[in-house]
Parts: sequence; C-alpha cells; structure tokens
Amino acid sequence: MSDEEKGKHIVERKYVDDSRIIEPEKLEIGGIDVSGHWGTLVLPRTIEDFDNSMLKKVKSMPRGKNIEKCWQCGNCTAICPVAHAHPEFNPRYLIHIVKMGYSAEVEKLKDTVYFCSGCGLCSSVCPKGVDPQGVMIAMSIAFKSKKGYR
Amino acid sequence: MSSLPVLVIGAGPAGLRAATDLAELNIPVVLVERRKELGGAPIRWKYHSLAPDFTPTEEVLGPMIKFCKNSSNIEVIEEAVVEGYGGSAGDFSVKIRKINGEVQDRKVAAIIVATGFEHFDATVDPRYSYGKAPNVIGINELEVMISEGKVVGHDGKIPKRVAFIFCVGSRDRSTNPWCCTVCCGVSIKQAIELKQLLNDVQIYMIYMDIRTIGLWEKLYWDSMEKYGINYIRGRVGEVFYTGEKLLVKGEDTLVRGPFEVLFDMVVLAVGIEPGEGTKQVASALKLKVNEFGFLAPKIPNIHFDSGKEGIFLAGTCVAPMSVEESIAEGSAAAMQAAKLVSRTKIIV
Repeated sequence: MSDEEKGKHIVERKYVDDSRIIEPEKLEIGGIDVSGHWGTLVLPRTIEDFDNSMLKKVKSMPRGKNIEKCWQCGNCTAICPVAHAHPEFNPRYLIHIVKMGYSAEVEKLKDTVYFCSGCGLCSSVCPKGVDPQGVMIAMSIAFKSKKGYR
Repeated sequence: MSSLPVLVIGAGPAGLRAATDLAELNIPVVLVERRKELGGAPIRWKYHSLAPDFTPTEEVLGPMIKFCKNSSNIEVIEEAVVEGYGGSAGDFSVKIRKINGEVQDRKVAAIIVATGFEHFDATVDPRYSYGKAPNVIGINELEVMISEGKVVGHDGKIPKRVAFIFCVGSRDRSTNPWCCTVCCGVSIKQAIELKQLLNDVQIYMIYMDIRTIGLWEKLYWDSMEKYGINYIRGRVGEVFYTGEKLLVKGEDTLVRGPFEVLFDMVVLAVGIEPGEGTKQVASALKLKVNEFGFLAPKIPNIHFDSGKEGIFLAGTCVAPMSVEESIAEGSAAAMQAAKLVSRTKIIV
C-alpha cells in the first residue's frame, strides 16, 4: 500500500506523518477481519528518548565540532537565503534535532541538509561561533555514512 | 556620637556585612538571629560554592562570621526575634524575645532588617511529585549532596540521566509570579559540578528562559561548550514515578515536540520567597509589604529606605537577589545607619 493511501479516511490526514500510520494489509482479531483501514493505528509523536549517536558523529568531524555551542537563537536561519525560499530547510532546527537526538525527526528531515548552498552567511553571523555551514557539511557526511539513523 | 547600638535583624550575608561594617566604624551592634547559627541561607542549606566562579561559601562568609563572633563591638543574640518597637529614629526601644521565652528591652539608634528568604516548598505544586516520588529533589538538597561529594539516588545508585527543571515556584500564577533571578545560575553551576563529580552523567536542563544576568552568562556558555550540558526549552507538565525511574512529561517548544523521557533524578530549581522571618519582622516593625510579600522600600529603586526613618532594609527580604548583591546591600544599609548615628551626635 502506498503512503498516500494509508489512513486516507483520517480527518485532516495531511497533519499526520506517513511513518506514524500503521495499517495492516491483512489482520484478523477474534475471527473479525480488521484488515486495511479497520485496523488503522496512529502512533503518538511523543519523543521517548534522546539518542546522542548522531551528535557524537557530527562532533567528531572537524567542521562539526562546534555544534554543542548552539543555543538556538535562529540567526543562521534568519540570514539563510535557502531557508527563505525553502521552508523545509532550517539549519537551526537541524542542529537542534541532531544535538538533542530526536532520531525520528532526523530520519524525516535528513535529506533537507543537502539544500545548503554553502554560502557561509550563517557562519558569518553566528554569535556563538557554531559555524553552521560547517555543521551542515559535517551532517551531510554523517547522514550519508549510515543507512538509517539507528 | 550616639552611644546606642544599631540593631541588625538577620545574620545572613546582608546582615553579617552590615554588622561587620558598623563594628569596623566603631559603632556598637546588636545582631539578632532567629536560628542557632550565623550565616543565613548559604550556611543553613550548606551551599557548596557560589555562582558564578565556584567560590567556596566558606571563603565568602567565613571571615564575616568569624569577625561578628569575635568583635567586641558586636553582641550576637542567637535564637531570638524582635517582637515590637517604639520610639523614633536615633532612640528606638525594641523588645527582643529569645526562643526560651526570655525577653529583653533594648535601646537602639537604628534598625537594619535583613531577614532573607526561604526556598519555595515544592510540595505546594503537585505536578513535580516532590515529596511523593523518590529522587525528586530541590536544588538546596542537591547542593548538600555536592558538598558531601556524593550524589546518589534514594537506593544508593549513581544517576545516569538527570533533569533540572527551572522556574519551580517561580513565574507561575498558581504559585509565585516573580523571577527568583538566581536559580538559573545556581542550577547551571550545580550541573557543572555534577558533571565534574560524575563524569558519565547526562544532564538536561528544562527551561523557559535562561536568565544568567551579567557575568553569570559565562556559566551558561561554559556549561554548553565545555561540559556538553543539554538545554530543552519548555515547561514540565508532570513528573511521574514508574516504580523505577521518573517519567518527565514536557514539550520541546523549539521542535513542537512533546516528550516523555525517563530520568534517574529530577532536580527542581526551587525559587525564592519571603520567609517566616520576613513576615514576622514586617508585622513586628509595622513595615510595608508589597504585593508579593517582600518588604516594600519607599522607592522601589532604593532598597535600603524602608519609608520609616531609622529603619533600613537589605538583602532578599526586599527582593530576590544573589549573595553578592545581598552583601552590597548590607554595606549600603550599614552606611545609612552610620550616617544616622553620627547625625544623632550633632543633635544631642
């Protein structure tokens, strides 16, 4: 079943991530057929753990070493020409989810890191010397070096 | 110069500094303390060190306590409270009652009120399960553990993941609406000390705003950059004891993400509120109290002026503040009292 078809009967379906909808193709419970949308289950979006494995990886790279200095002011995203054109690319957000280890969110957004044009404006304005451009490069390498997050 | 002494109520950082300064000017002082030991909050709750530079508490308060105990100009009356007063500036008569019931009437030239604060009692706010779940402690309790060099849970286990919850009993209409001004800095200081003590511990600070004012900002930067302490912006809705660990429910507002994560220990950054001593002295000396229960100075920007001639205020009985500010306010109040005492000489 394609992702678009999954849970299509859910009201305001667009607000639920595809990955959180479970719809069994064939399931029978107590002799009753609950296949397809009868057995739809929406997983909660609650963050249940912090996973610092990706942070360690990014931190170990020369240009990613300053990631822990970030205090989420958003100066990088404010000046980023790409972020103004593509709302899905947000360097501040990427840094935060990697730093905190929100693995599901990283898994969802990891491809947006390649939107970075490498102009370096963010690194010139960062008040904490995080070097967000470098962190984006480190992240893109870190994400690529591993198939999944886990 | 009037030979009457100056009465200092409260022997915390502000009161000790005021008494020390006056005694050094050769003005006699009567120092009244409700508790048994001198030193106020930092000694009572065994503060290990003081923000922002990890100065040992002993180094800051020790010399003043020693001076007040030994100076021939200072008469220390412990376990006593001031119950009433009469007369006017330069010639007050006050009633001092010891806990054992003994009452003495004294003549004093001026009164300095430095009755300090109490930490917020976190049992009042049930969402944190303080007092019900084990391993939920206040920053005052963690400070004692750090002083003893041993931070463990109720079962003696070393915590692997610790959450600090900021603004407990502060900035909240259901408890106290003001900011305690120091708990951010103190919590971060403790987190760094905890990291130095237990190398492997993961620390998460759950905050609404980080208010490390002035030079205290260095603590905040160092905690992130040198110690890898994590910051989550949000406010905790509930702490739930699973029987083994503490489930902390909150939201990371930077990612719009609700979280429910297990922790081994939860430290509550309990705020500052006016203590029993401040309430008692306000009624005994008929001082004005502001909407928050702190003693109200005549002009909010001039803390030492109580609005009553001859009665001066200093320290956290006026507003939440750090130890360094309290010490400065003690000195300021002492100067006002000294001015009054020398003026009395001209009049008499």
